[in-house]
Amino acid sequence: MTKVIIQISHPPFGHENAYSGLFVALGSLPKGIDVVVILTGDGVYTGRKGQVDPLKNINLPSTEEQIGDILNMGGRVIADRQALSMRGIGTEELIEGIEVLGTHDIQDIILDYGDHVLAF
Amino acid sequence: MVEDAKGKKTLTMMLFSGPYTSQYADHMCRIAEKAIEKGYGVEIFLYGDGVHAQMTNQAPKNFFNVGQVLMRLTERGAVTKSCLICSIARGYIEGEFDESRGKYPSSKALDIVEFCTIYGFIDMIRKADKLLTFGSS
Repeated sequence: MTKVIIQISHPPFGHENAYSGLFVALGSLPKGIDVVVILTGDGVYTGRKGQVDPLKNINLPSTEEQIGDILNMGGRVIADRQALSMRGIGTEELIEGIEVLGTHDIQDIILDYGDHVLAF
Repeated sequence: MVEDAKGKKTLTMMLFSGPYTSQYADHMCRIAEKAIEKGYGVEIFLYGDGVHAQMTNQAPKNFFNVGQVLMRLTERGAVTKSCLICSIARGYIEGEFDESRGKYPSSKALDIVEFCTIYGFIDMIRKADKLLTFGSS
Protein backbone atom coordinates (compact mmCIF):
# COMPACT_ATOMS: atom_id res chain seq x y z
CA MET A 1 0.00 0.00 0.00
CA THR A 2 1.25 3.47 -0.86
CA LYS A 3 1.90 5.60 2.20
CA VAL A 4 1.97 9.36 2.13
CA ILE A 5 3.06 11.81 4.77
CA ILE A 6 1.68 15.32 4.43
CA GLN A 7 3.63 17.77 6.51
CA ILE A 8 1.95 21.12 7.10
CA SER A 9 3.95 23.98 8.54
CA HIS A 10 1.60 26.86 7.68
CA PRO A 11 -1.48 28.03 9.59
CA PRO A 12 -4.95 28.08 8.05
CA PHE A 13 -6.28 31.37 6.65
CA GLY A 14 -3.83 33.72 4.96
CA HIS A 15 -2.01 30.91 3.19
CA GLU A 16 -3.35 28.25 0.89
CA ASN A 17 -0.82 25.65 2.07
CA ALA A 18 -2.75 23.98 4.89
CA TYR A 19 -5.96 23.75 2.89
CA SER A 20 -4.13 22.37 -0.15
CA GLY A 21 -2.22 19.77 1.86
CA LEU A 22 -5.36 18.54 3.58
CA PHE A 23 -7.06 18.42 0.20
CA VAL A 24 -4.39 15.99 -1.03
CA ALA A 25 -4.98 13.88 2.08
CA LEU A 26 -8.71 13.83 1.45
CA GLY A 27 -8.16 12.77 -2.14
CA SER A 28 -5.71 10.05 -1.17
CA LEU A 29 -7.75 8.17 1.43
CA PRO A 30 -10.59 7.05 -0.90
CA LYS A 31 -7.91 5.76 -3.29
CA GLY A 32 -6.62 3.36 -0.63
CA ILE A 33 -3.52 5.37 0.25
CA ASP A 34 -2.42 5.34 3.87
CA VAL A 35 -2.17 8.97 5.04
CA VAL A 36 -0.42 10.61 7.96
CA VAL A 37 -0.78 14.37 8.33
CA ILE A 38 1.87 15.99 10.50
CA LEU A 39 1.32 19.50 11.83
CA THR A 40 4.57 21.23 12.65
CA GLY A 41 5.60 24.83 13.30
CA ASP A 42 2.75 27.24 12.62
CA GLY A 43 0.93 24.30 11.06
CA VAL A 44 -0.29 23.34 14.54
CA TYR A 45 -2.78 26.23 14.33
CA THR A 46 -4.45 24.16 11.62
CA GLY A 47 -5.38 21.63 14.31
CA ARG A 48 -7.23 24.03 16.59
CA LYS A 49 -10.90 23.37 17.14
CA GLY A 50 -13.55 26.06 17.00
CA GLN A 51 -12.34 27.75 13.83
CA VAL A 52 -14.95 30.07 12.42
CA ASP A 53 -15.26 32.32 9.41
CA PRO A 54 -18.34 34.28 10.55
CA LEU A 55 -18.42 36.66 7.61
CA LYS A 56 -17.84 33.84 5.13
CA ASN A 57 -15.00 35.86 3.67
CA ILE A 58 -13.04 32.84 2.57
CA ASN A 59 -15.85 30.53 1.55
CA LEU A 60 -13.76 27.37 1.72
CA PRO A 61 -14.29 24.34 3.93
CA SER A 62 -12.56 25.01 7.23
CA THR A 63 -9.43 23.02 7.90
CA GLU A 64 -11.27 21.80 11.01
CA GLU A 65 -13.86 20.16 8.76
CA GLN A 66 -11.13 18.75 6.56
CA ILE A 67 -9.28 17.24 9.54
CA GLY A 68 -12.50 15.77 10.89
CA ASP A 69 -13.12 14.10 7.52
CA ILE A 70 -9.54 12.78 7.34
CA LEU A 71 -9.86 11.23 10.80
CA ASN A 72 -13.26 9.75 9.96
CA MET A 73 -11.79 8.19 6.82
CA GLY A 74 -9.03 6.48 8.79
CA GLY A 75 -6.17 8.93 8.34
CA ARG A 76 -3.88 9.93 11.18
CA VAL A 77 -3.27 13.54 12.15
CA ILE A 78 -0.35 14.29 14.42
CA ALA A 79 0.63 17.58 16.06
CA ASP A 80 4.15 18.38 17.21
CA ARG A 81 4.15 18.73 21.01
CA GLN A 82 7.02 21.22 21.03
CA ALA A 83 5.39 23.42 18.40
CA LEU A 84 2.18 23.45 20.46
CA SER A 85 4.04 24.32 23.62
CA MET A 86 5.98 27.14 21.99
CA ARG A 87 2.72 28.69 20.79
CA GLY A 88 0.86 28.25 24.08
CA ILE A 89 -1.66 25.86 22.57
CA GLY A 90 -2.97 23.19 24.95
CA THR A 91 -3.82 19.71 23.73
CA GLU A 92 -7.40 20.33 24.88
CA GLU A 93 -7.63 23.04 22.23
CA LEU A 94 -7.03 20.57 19.43
CA ILE A 95 -9.63 18.86 17.28
CA GLU A 96 -10.59 15.57 18.85
CA GLY A 97 -8.65 12.68 17.39
CA ILE A 98 -5.40 14.54 16.73
CA GLU A 99 -2.43 12.74 18.26
CA VAL A 100 0.29 14.74 19.98
CA LEU A 101 3.82 13.41 19.63
CA GLY A 102 7.27 14.70 20.40
CA THR A 103 9.69 15.81 17.76
CA HIS A 104 11.77 12.62 17.90
CA ASP A 105 8.71 10.41 17.41
CA ILE A 106 7.67 12.54 14.44
CA GLN A 107 11.13 12.28 12.95
CA ASP A 108 10.91 8.50 13.28
CA ILE A 109 7.60 8.48 11.45
CA ILE A 110 8.96 10.66 8.64
CA LEU A 111 12.01 8.46 8.23
CA ASP A 112 10.37 5.07 8.69
CA TYR A 113 6.87 5.45 7.33
CA GLY A 114 7.40 5.76 3.61
CA ASP A 115 9.12 7.41 0.69
CA HIS A 116 6.37 9.85 -0.11
CA VAL A 117 6.50 13.07 1.87
CA LEU A 118 4.72 16.18 0.69
CA ALA A 119 5.48 19.45 2.45
CA PHE A 120 3.01 22.32 2.54
CA MET B 1 10.86 0.03 -6.66
CA VAL B 2 8.10 0.15 -9.25
CA GLU B 3 9.27 0.63 -12.79
CA ASP B 4 7.17 1.67 -15.75
CA ALA B 5 6.78 -0.27 -18.98
CA LYS B 6 10.09 1.12 -20.22
CA GLY B 7 11.84 0.03 -17.03
CA LYS B 8 12.33 3.56 -15.77
CA LYS B 9 11.93 4.68 -12.19
CA THR B 10 9.61 7.63 -11.82
CA LEU B 11 10.54 10.90 -10.14
CA THR B 12 7.46 12.96 -9.34
CA MET B 13 7.74 16.59 -8.33
CA MET B 14 5.11 18.95 -6.99
CA LEU B 15 5.61 22.68 -7.56
CA PHE B 16 3.63 24.92 -5.21
CA SER B 17 5.15 28.34 -6.00
CA GLY B 18 5.13 30.40 -9.15
CA PRO B 19 8.32 31.17 -11.05
CA TYR B 20 10.52 34.26 -10.58
CA THR B 21 9.58 35.20 -7.01
CA SER B 22 11.70 32.35 -5.75
CA GLN B 23 14.00 29.73 -7.23
CA TYR B 24 11.74 26.76 -6.50
CA ALA B 25 10.60 26.37 -10.11
CA ASP B 26 14.17 26.86 -11.26
CA HIS B 27 15.47 24.16 -8.90
CA MET B 28 12.71 21.78 -9.90
CA CYS B 29 13.47 22.19 -13.60
CA ARG B 30 17.19 21.64 -13.10
CA ILE B 31 16.57 18.50 -11.05
CA ALA B 32 14.15 17.28 -13.71
CA GLU B 33 16.82 17.69 -16.40
CA LYS B 34 19.37 15.87 -14.29
CA ALA B 35 16.91 13.09 -13.47
CA ILE B 36 16.19 12.51 -17.16
CA GLU B 37 19.93 12.27 -17.79
CA LYS B 38 20.08 9.64 -15.04
CA GLY B 39 17.34 7.62 -16.69
CA TYR B 40 14.31 8.59 -14.61
CA GLY B 41 10.88 9.13 -15.97
CA VAL B 42 9.88 12.59 -14.75
CA GLU B 43 6.39 13.73 -13.84
CA ILE B 44 5.58 17.25 -12.64
CA PHE B 45 2.43 18.46 -10.91
CA LEU B 46 1.73 22.18 -10.75
CA TYR B 47 -0.35 22.99 -7.66
CA GLY B 48 -1.52 26.25 -6.06
CA ASP B 49 0.53 29.18 -7.39
CA GLY B 50 2.78 26.60 -9.05
CA VAL B 51 0.33 26.64 -11.96
CA HIS B 52 1.82 29.98 -13.06
CA ALA B 53 4.78 28.00 -14.37
CA GLN B 54 2.48 26.98 -17.23
CA MET B 55 1.99 30.57 -18.49
CA THR B 56 2.72 31.08 -22.19
CA ASN B 57 5.13 33.73 -23.45
CA GLN B 58 7.23 33.92 -20.32
CA ALA B 59 10.08 36.33 -21.01
CA PRO B 60 12.31 36.78 -17.98
CA LYS B 61 15.29 39.01 -18.71
CA ASN B 62 17.68 37.65 -16.14
CA PHE B 63 16.22 34.36 -15.04
CA PHE B 64 15.96 30.84 -16.31
CA ASN B 65 12.84 30.61 -18.55
CA VAL B 66 10.70 28.04 -16.75
CA GLY B 67 8.12 27.78 -19.53
CA GLN B 68 10.77 26.99 -22.13
CA VAL B 69 12.35 24.40 -19.87
CA LEU B 70 9.00 22.69 -19.27
CA MET B 71 8.57 22.40 -23.05
CA ARG B 72 12.12 21.08 -23.42
CA LEU B 73 11.50 18.55 -20.66
CA THR B 74 8.37 17.37 -22.46
CA GLU B 75 10.40 16.78 -25.63
CA ARG B 76 12.64 14.57 -23.50
CA GLY B 77 9.72 12.54 -22.19
CA ALA B 78 8.66 14.40 -19.05
CA VAL B 79 4.97 14.80 -18.26
CA THR B 80 3.60 18.04 -16.80
CA LYS B 81 0.16 18.07 -15.24
CA SER B 82 -1.57 21.01 -13.63
CA CYS B 83 -4.28 21.28 -11.00
CA LEU B 84 -7.51 22.03 -12.82
CA ILE B 85 -9.17 23.82 -9.90
CA CYS B 86 -6.09 25.97 -9.23
CA SER B 87 -5.91 26.82 -12.94
CA ILE B 88 -9.58 27.77 -13.11
CA ALA B 89 -9.15 29.98 -10.03
CA ARG B 90 -6.23 31.78 -11.67
CA GLY B 91 -7.92 32.33 -15.01
CA TYR B 92 -6.14 29.79 -17.18
CA ILE B 93 -9.20 27.83 -18.28
CA GLU B 94 -11.48 29.47 -20.84
CA GLY B 95 -14.38 27.07 -21.13
CA GLU B 96 -15.66 23.55 -20.72
CA PHE B 97 -13.70 20.43 -21.59
CA ASP B 98 -13.39 20.13 -25.39
CA GLU B 99 -14.18 16.51 -26.26
CA SER B 100 -12.97 16.85 -29.84
CA ARG B 101 -9.52 18.06 -28.76
CA GLY B 102 -9.45 16.04 -25.55
CA LYS B 103 -8.44 19.02 -23.45
CA TYR B 104 -9.59 22.16 -21.69
CA PRO B 105 -9.35 25.37 -23.72
CA SER B 106 -6.59 27.70 -22.57
CA SER B 107 -4.74 30.30 -24.61
CA LYS B 108 -2.69 31.23 -21.54
CA ALA B 109 -1.27 27.84 -20.65
CA LEU B 110 1.45 25.96 -22.47
CA ASP B 111 0.00 23.37 -24.80
CA ILE B 112 2.12 20.63 -23.26
CA VAL B 113 0.32 20.91 -19.92
CA GLU B 114 -2.41 18.42 -19.08
CA PHE B 115 -5.05 19.57 -16.59
CA CYS B 116 -6.32 17.14 -13.99
CA THR B 117 -8.10 17.12 -10.66
CA ILE B 118 -6.43 16.26 -7.37
CA TYR B 119 -7.19 12.60 -8.10
CA GLY B 120 -4.85 12.81 -11.08
CA PHE B 121 -2.13 13.88 -8.69
CA ILE B 122 -2.97 11.02 -6.34
CA ASP B 123 -2.42 8.60 -9.23
CA MET B 124 0.95 10.25 -9.86
CA ILE B 125 1.86 9.76 -6.18
CA ARG B 126 0.98 6.08 -6.36
CA LYS B 127 3.21 5.63 -9.39
CA ALA B 128 6.14 7.62 -7.96
CA ASP B 129 9.37 6.01 -6.83
CA LYS B 130 10.58 9.34 -5.51
CA LEU B 131 8.46 12.33 -4.59
CA LEU B 132 9.81 15.84 -4.13
CA THR B 133 8.05 19.04 -3.07
CA PHE B 134 9.12 22.50 -4.19
CA GLY B 135 7.79 25.78 -2.93
CA SER B 136 5.86 25.17 0.24
CA SER B 137 7.61 27.76 2.39
